[in-house]
This record gives sequence, C-alpha cells and structure tokens, in this order.
Amino acid sequence: MSGLSLLLRAARAAFPAGARQLRTGGFRSAYAKELFLGKMWKEEVFPYPEISNEELEEINQFVGPVEKFFSEEVDSKKIDQDAKIPPETLKGLKNLGLFGMQIPEEYGGLGLSNTMYARLGEIISLDGSVAVTLAAHQAIGLKGILIAGTDEQKAKYLPKLASGEHIAAFCLTEPGSGSDAASIQTRATMSEDGKSFLLNGSKIWISNGGLADVFTVFARTEIVDNDGAKKDKITALIVERAFGGVTNGKPEDKLGIRGSNTCEVHFENTKVPVENVIGEVGGGFKVAMNILNSGRFSMGSASAGMIKKLIEMTAEYACTRKQFNKKLSDFGLIQEKFTLMAVKAYVMESMAYLTAGMMDRPGVPDCSVEAAMVKVFSSEGAWICVSEALQVLGGLGYMKDYPYERYLRDSRILLIFEGTNEILRMYIALTGMQYAGKILTGKIKEMKKGNVGVALEIFVNKFRDSMGRKVDLGLVGKDGVAHPSLEESSKKLEENIYYFGTTVEGLLRRFGKTIVDEQLVLKRVADVSVNLYAMTAAISRASRSISIGLRNHDHEVLLTNIFCTEAYFKNNYAMAELEKYAAENLDDSIKKVAQQVLEKRAYICSHPLERTF
Amino acid sequence: MQLVPQGTKDRGFRDGSLVPFDELFERAHEGDRNKAAFNRAVEFFCQRDIRRRGHVEFINAALRKMPEFGVERDLDVYNKILDVFPKEVFVARNFIQRMFNHYPRQQECGIHVLEQMENYGIMPNKQTKFLLLQIFGDRSHPIRKYQRLMYWFPKFKHINPYPVPAALPRDPVDLARISLQRIAADLSAEVTVYQMPLTDISDAGKEITQPHIVGIQSPDQQELLARHNPARPVFVEGPFPLWLKKTCVYYYVLRGDPLPPEEKEEVIDSERNFYYPMHLDLDLDRDLWDDEEFYVDEVAEGPIFAMCMAGAGDQATLAKWILGLQQTNPILSQTPVVFHLTPGPRELQAASDSESGEEEIPQSWHMKQEL
Repeated sequence: MSGLSLLLRAARAAFPAGARQLRTGGFRSAYAKELFLGKMWKEEVFPYPEISNEELEEINQFVGPVEKFFSEEVDSKKIDQDAKIPPETLKGLKNLGLFGMQIPEEYGGLGLSNTMYARLGEIISLDGSVAVTLAAHQAIGLKGILIAGTDEQKAKYLPKLASGEHIAAFCLTEPGSGSDAASIQTRATMSEDGKSFLLNGSKIWISNGGLADVFTVFARTEIVDNDGAKKDKITALIVERAFGGVTNGKPEDKLGIRGSNTCEVHFENTKVPVENVIGEVGGGFKVAMNILNSGRFSMGSASAGMIKKLIEMTAEYACTRKQFNKKLSDFGLIQEKFTLMAVKAYVMESMAYLTAGMMDRPGVPDCSVEAAMVKVFSSEGAWICVSEALQVLGGLGYMKDYPYERYLRDSRILLIFEGTNEILRMYIALTGMQYAGKILTGKIKEMKKGNVGVALEIFVNKFRDSMGRKVDLGLVGKDGVAHPSLEESSKKLEENIYYFGTTVEGLLRRFGKTIVDEQLVLKRVADVSVNLYAMTAAISRASRSISIGLRNHDHEVLLTNIFCTEAYFKNNYAMAELEKYAAENLDDSIKKVAQQVLEKRAYICSHPLERTF
Repeated sequence: MQLVPQGTKDRGFRDGSLVPFDELFERAHEGDRNKAAFNRAVEFFCQRDIRRRGHVEFINAALRKMPEFGVERDLDVYNKILDVFPKEVFVARNFIQRMFNHYPRQQECGIHVLEQMENYGIMPNKQTKFLLLQIFGDRSHPIRKYQRLMYWFPKFKHINPYPVPAALPRDPVDLARISLQRIAADLSAEVTVYQMPLTDISDAGKEITQPHIVGIQSPDQQELLARHNPARPVFVEGPFPLWLKKTCVYYYVLRGDPLPPEEKEEVIDSERNFYYPMHLDLDLDRDLWDDEEFYVDEVAEGPIFAMCMAGAGDQATLAKWILGLQQTNPILSQTPVVFHLTPGPRELQAASDSESGEEEIPQSWHMKQEL
C-alpha cells in the first residue's frame, strides 16, 4: 500500500503543473465528487488498492480465531430470543480484542487499518446484535476521542475502552431531534468556577445505553461569539457514568438486533469537567459530522459477509430439495435469485474495500461521500438479498427454526441507522452538487448572460451528444487502465459518467441553489452517482483480478458485466427522467397525489363498491 | 273521514265554477301541515274521480303547495304526485303520435314535476322511472328529462369538495365546532369549548345568561403566536359571517399585523443538519423557465392566530376567550390585545325577530329567550 502511493506520487510529479485541477497537498480523495463534473480521476481507483503480503498474513491470523469464536460460541438464536448478549460472549469478544480494533496499539488496541477493520467486520456481521454492539462502541462511541480528542483524553479513556472494561455509547438523538441540530434540548451549563459543566437532558435510542460507562454526549452550550453575541452551540462531551446523575431506561423491545441494548439515557445535573470537552466548546457540530461520516464504510463488507454466508446456506438447500423431479437449483427463477445475491455481494465487497483502501492512503482523505454511497448501496442490497434468500426457502424460510427470518429482521435496521438512506442520498447529491457548482458557476453564469460563444459551444455539444459521441476517459484503448475483457462495461461506465456530467450541469443551470428543495431530483442524482461508484469499484476489482490471476477471475468478469449492464440502463433511465419536460418524469403527479392524500390524511378514493344512484 | 263537506264538492261541479285545488289543500290539513296531510289530499283527489279530471291543474297546485307542507324534498311524495296521472293513456302508439307531441299539456306537467325535483336536487329512483314509463311511454319528453336528470345528477352529487352536512346540528356549540373546523381546514387544529351556554337565575332573581364560546387553534398557529413579538399588538376582529346553506354563523378572529420586510428574513444556519447541508453555498439562482412562482399583486396578510365563535359579540365575552387562549399561549398575557369589533347583525336580528315571531330561528347565535 505504501509502495503504491510512492509510485503514484512519482507519476504525479511527472505531469505538467497545469494538467490537474486543485490538487493541493496530499490525496484529497474526491473521486465521487469529481463524477459530478463528468470526469473521472482514474488514479484514485485504478489499480484497486492492495495490501502488502505481511498485512494480509496478519489479517488472516486475526480472522481465524474470530471465525472460530463466532461459529462456536455465539448462539445467535438465543441472543435473539432473550434479547440479551450473554456476558460470556462479551467476555470472549473482549479477549479477542474486538473492542479496540481501531484504537492505536499504544493505547492497548489492535491498531487495525480501515481495510483490516472491514475484513473483520465481515465475520462479526454473522451476528447482528454483536455487530451493532461493537459498532456502537467503537465506530461511533469512542470515535470522537479517537479523531478529535486530546492526548490526555486519549490516554485516560482509550486503554480501558480498548480492553472492553468500559463500553462506549454515542448520545446524540433526542425525542425531538433526529438530524436537526437546532432542536437539541440537552443543556450543559458552565458552573461558576468555570471548571465543569452541569449536564441536563435525556437522549433516546442509545445503543449500549445500558451497558456503557463512557458516553459521548452532545449538548447545547452558551458561547460568546466573536462579536460578543451570546449563541447556543453544540458541544461534544465525554461523560462517565461515574460522574453521577446518569440513569437509563429499560431496554427497548425491537424488531431486529434484539440482543443489542437500546435504551433511553437521562442526565440529571451530571457534573462534567471542562477537560472532557472533545474539540472545543461550541465545536460539537463538526465533531458529530466527522464521527458520523467515518464509520459508514464498514457496512459494505459486513453486508457482503452476511450475504456470502446466506448464499452458502441457501444453495445447500436449493441443490438438495427436489420438486417435480428437478432440483430447485435447476429452475430459472431460483437461479436468478442466486445471481442477484452473488452480484450484490461482489459489488458491495468491491465498494467497501475500495473505500477502505482510499481511506488508508496517507494524507487526510475525505471519503465521506464514498462511504455514504457504500452504506446506501449495501443496506438496500442486503435487505433485498436476504428477502430473496428467504424466498428461495419458501415456507421454511419463514419459520423461526431457520435463521433467515432473524437475518431479515436484523438487516432491516441497516436502512435506518447511521443516517437513513433518504438522508444520505440528500447528502451525496448535495455535496456533489456543491462541489460541481463551485466549479461550474462561472460557466453557467456566462451562459445565462447570453454570451454567444458559450451558448454556441453548448448547443454544438448537445448536438454532438445526440449524434452519439464517443467518450474516452482513458479506461479502454491503448493506455486504458481497465483490462480489455471489461471493455464493454468500461465503455458503459464512461458514457454514463459523461452523460451524468452534462445532466448535473443542466440541473445546476435550471435550479441553482434552490435544488436543495427538489428532493425527487436529488434522489435520482444520488442513485446515479451510487451506481457509477459501484460500477467503478467492480471494474477496478475485476481488472486487478484478471491481471494478477486470482482464482475464478472469469466469474468476476461475468458478475461485473451483469452489474454494469443493469446499472447502465438504470442510470440512463434516471438521467432521461432528469431532462426538462421528460415524459418519464412523474414528479409533478407524485407531488400532487401526495398533497391530496396528506391534506385529508387518508386514502381519498371512493370505495369501488360505492354507488351514486 | 270527510275532508270536504259534501255540499261544496257537489256544488263545485254543479255550478260549473272552477274549484281552485288550492282549497283542497287548505282544508286537508287539520292544523298540522305535514306529509300525512299532503298525502291525504292527494289521495282524496285520486279517489273522488276515476277519470282524474283536472289532474294537470291539481298536480300544478300540488307542486306549488309542497313547500308549505314541508315535503318538497321528499321523493315518495313526488312519486305519489306522479301516480295521479292516469296510466297508459298518454303513451304514444305510433310514429305520428310520437312526432306530434302527444298530449302536450300532460307532458309539460310531467316535466314540471321533474323540474321541481331537479330544483330541489332530489335524485329520482326506479319507482319514478317506472311510473314515467307507464304514464308517458318510452321516448317521451318526461322520460327524456328523466334521462338527463339521471345523467347529470350522479356526476354532480359528490362534486363539492367541502360539502355542508344536510342536517346541521341545532346545538350552538356543536354548530360552532363544525363551522370552525370548516374554516380552519386543518386536521391538527383543536377545538376548545371555553364556555358552555348557560341560563341561570341568580339569588337576586335576575337572569344570568352565559353565551357559549368555542375556539379553535392549530399547532402551526400556536407556534406562530409563540414567535410573535410581544411588543406588537394583536387584534380581535369580527364578527365575520359564514353561511352554511341557510344558516349564518359569525366568527371572530385573532390576528396580528404582517411583519415589515426587515424582520422577515430567515437566517439559514450552516450548522443545522447533522447529515447534509441545508443550504448550498452557490451563486446560482433558479432558471427563468423553471420558476413557478406566481407574481400576483398580493396584499400581504398578517398571521391569524386563532378563531372563535361566541354567543355574544361584546368585549367581555371575547376577553374570556383570550383568557382561555392564554392557557396554551402564555405570550398573550404580555401582548396588548386590541378589540376591533363591529356592532354585528345583532340589531337586525332583533328587528326581524319581533316581526316573524313564530318562525323558529334555531340557527341564530342570538339568545333563545327573546320571545
């Protein structure tokens, strides 16, 4: 991995200074955002990120015992029924060091990189409740201390958290505030001597709320602005249960991940010393955003691991059960389901490890958009695949004796937590639009002013596009980075990226900054960009597989081609819908129906059996 | 039962003078004008002459008398009236008869019946159709009218998106509740009865009456009021009329002045949403062709904070309403409340009350013990 970066740095130095835009200092991974301009930074994703042989061996050494633990000593069925993780299981997890996977070794953790964390996540996801407990502890609970904490805070809290002696929880959500920072009611008032805060308020749906000893709490504090005005801003605080005044309600009875402890946490006059502020007073918003954005990518590998397991179990059943003297696996519809699962698992894996690899590069890469894309794709893919796997088993899949219904229930939360998919689509689309908008503002303004030259250029471009232009982003051909076997898929990707760029420009021209209110448009933009990133990941990984001769690379080529063809058509349809006055665009009708239904808050059609006379 | 003394009946026929059928109806009712009496009158006519002489005049008179008897919206009565026609006599039997408006007065009369039904909005039923077929036959003018009725009436039946219920409640509190919900048109709005109507006799022997006060406020209005600047006054205005078919109710409004443009700006905080940016930092505006805002010269109206209906329109009653509102909107205790009350139709009601003494006005918000 370090060798790769040196190579690329050298390659970069070889380019003349003006050939690339704005690459100031280190790898600012903006692959996804660049897609919104219709361009593709191949160096970010080709070749597919690799880890060195030593690291691979190290990982495999971790993987073995963890897999053994999960298959033998974690009784998922019992955890689901009792809605509790038995203490022996927790102890086993602590002994394996899984409570401190990303904590640096100097504080007693395993110090794993993102890629290795993703790899272990594949195995841990075999039990949803355990996975969520661990994720709530490290991916969000102690992430604040890890990324924004001072050295004293790290030295004080991380060792115990790494060993699992203390469990962490992330306290942001309140009854009136899910994503709205302005409606946070929990208050932290400074004491007279200025040495501590008094924390008052309550939070709901806190994972690990009942088990945790260290909470990252977000509360409103009064700060004095630069102008001297008093404002309320959010602050992140590390609160220990030992500070007193911390109570939690009873564990919530949930549909899935029942073993994970979710409860209300109440803070009553909890005294928090000033040293426990993460970041600075009033800077909690940024801390919250960074924490939320950094933990998402591992959902890709976790979902992929779960689907791989499901494919094994389901195929076992499909190949043994016979109906009409034929095995189930001989029927086309069943085969289609398995292909769907295989394709989705492959793409999820590719995306997750690509993102993890990008994040592991030196510098401070900002892969939050890519991570959000991974989360959206993987959560929806997991939900669909588990549903299909259950369907293959038919009635048996519905019975509690088989684990499918538990997987289905556990995977439903994937679409909701860590940012609901709707919100993340908005995030992906808006961040991309902001990036593209900044760069395209000049051009669009020129066009609107009626500059003849620019207008003519755009007209000529549109004409050329409608005639079927040949797009070349450097993926195929003589110096193409993708393998020739993937030529068709790469061509489709290039076309889609180019068309996407023109679409985004058209949308910015039509809506400008009011696009924030056009959620139906943004949803399509986000869907297309997620698909593009997925296609890139799949092509990149398949390219690498063929080039180095991994086992079953031809199967990977098949999966990639299937996925790219489907995604190509879906993207084209979405982008056709985004054209002005497109016949496929039903947004106005949708809004009208929604307005009529919501006005009456009911289904308003007359019953089919009604008569007027 | 002798409705008409024998003498008059025979007298009419023997004299040769025209007996106005109106008299028949006058005598048919025994003090009470209702459906039974009307039916009796019609039956009497049918029974007294098998040839049903003068049935056209009778039917026209009956149609005129229906509102007096209060049966104008009753389909059975119309069917009964149609029943007066002799059957199968007016049916056209060949093409010449069909061409030349066979029995034109009778057909006109049939059309009058159907027209009155149409005016009162009553949908005919199968019995009507059967009668019309029996009386006039297929392809006659009344049947044509019936067919037109049956084409349009179903289409118009549910065409009102805000229908007024046919039977309005008599209780002023219930009526106020329904009409306030109709005005507010917000399903989250809550109706509160601040005071029930009460007629009490105090110790001194004086009569104390309490008018009803029913108010409505939605959560959006509550929030608007909470954000209102207490330095600015709020106004109680009224009464405004609301007509529900034939009933007029009066409501009062608590409103504020529109904010001057300086105070109306909304600051968009960049730290509002944890997950995605609510405001894009771009210098691009919406394209002309995508701008669907309508620039009509609108008179900016201030926010309306609550509405109420009260039995009396004086300041004391409405002040009680404001006091009641203060429970849920504490800001009202600090805000100056200005009463802009027009005298309202009270005096007119009093004048007309004394004229039409026996007419019941259940729908008046005025007190009931006037008479």
